[in-house]
Amino acid sequence: MIKNEILTKKPITIFEKIEASLERLNEKMEVIIEIQKNSNDNQRPVVTLPDASLDVMTLLSMPDHLRKTAMAICRCVRATAEEIAEQTSRARAVESAYLNQLVIMGYLKKERKGRKAYFYVDRETQG
Amino acid sequence: MKTMSKIIAVHSYKGGTGKTLLSLNLAATFAKLGKRVAIFDLDFRAPSLASILKTENVEYWFNDYLNSTCDAKQVLVDLSFKVPGNGKFFAGLANPATEAIRDMSAKDRKWEMRALGRLLALKETLLKDQNFDYLVFDTSPGLQYSSINAIVAADFVVVATTGDRSDVEGTKRMLQELYSLFEKKTGLVLNKVLDSNFTATAKKSEMSSRVKTIYHVPMLGIVPCFCEILRAEGNLIFVEDKPDHPFTKIVAEMARKIENNEVN
Repeated sequence: MIKNEILTKKPITIFEKIEASLERLNEKMEVIIEIQKNSNDNQRPVVTLPDASLDVMTLLSMPDHLRKTAMAICRCVRATAEEIAEQTSRARAVESAYLNQLVIMGYLKKERKGRKAYFYVDRETQG
Repeated sequence: MKTMSKIIAVHSYKGGTGKTLLSLNLAATFAKLGKRVAIFDLDFRAPSLASILKTENVEYWFNDYLNSTCDAKQVLVDLSFKVPGNGKFFAGLANPATEAIRDMSAKDRKWEMRALGRLLALKETLLKDQNFDYLVFDTSPGLQYSSINAIVAADFVVVATTGDRSDVEGTKRMLQELYSLFEKKTGLVLNKVLDSNFTATAKKSEMSSRVKTIYHVPMLGIVPCFCEILRAEGNLIFVEDKPDHPFTKIVAEMARKIENNEVN
């Protein structure tokens, strides 16, 4: 009986783990695709700053596609890629890519809660 | 049906274009219409609302709210007695002390980022929780943090401009290179217009289409040059002091357009 339970439970957790890893992988791939799409040939690599500030002058200097996402997250404070996609009328996968790119650039923080990933501007701990 | 509550920022490229006059009278007009309104002085370099509104014993300034040392409700000074009707008229004032101006001009990017967060939070705390209908931001001219923060936080931006060539050029550039990037709903106010024929409908629509070709934004209103405004020596709430003045009527028309989403 106990053995049976372990047998059924274990594969499920393993599958869940695989699914989560695949999702993360997928997000990373989307980021790479988007970055390649939006950078002119071999232009600058994405700069990673530990806590770059998402202030208005930074917003102004951003490329248009990222600014749209960044503005939406500024308004929401905290949101999933899906919620941002609703605001910008772009595809969820695209917003997910841009949000992850903003995380890599140090402008946003990302937090996983269950199967959902939340993005937010960390206004409190900075400065 | 209740119209959607809004944050309105009043901005311009140059100083002296009538931002404070427009902000005050727009806010007062909304209050006169029975709305719950708050006006905020975001010109931290040269605060003016405190003296114009003759407020005394201010406990918390809007500076304090942005510094996160008090909440939004604490900065609001109730000035409802200043406007006719049963609307509500509050003000959040910028601290005019030299020390405070110096302090505000020395803020860094991180602070400005948090200030933007504080401005955006007003949607929740004042518009939603406190049932405000309109928040009006009177900003500092030109491209600087406090003003751009206000523009980003606003739902609608009123840009005041005059016929001065340097103002026209600067405003044009600002609209194209700043406003369009933020995709803000904008209405342009031509202030201090000297053409005496401006009231003629034909002239008005000609000016309106000229504004559209020059600035690529819709026109919200035309305000002629009124000596009474200069003569008022800072008693700027025409809605209260001079209810029958043409300027009062022009602002009422602007308020109506904003309220009904007719600026396009």
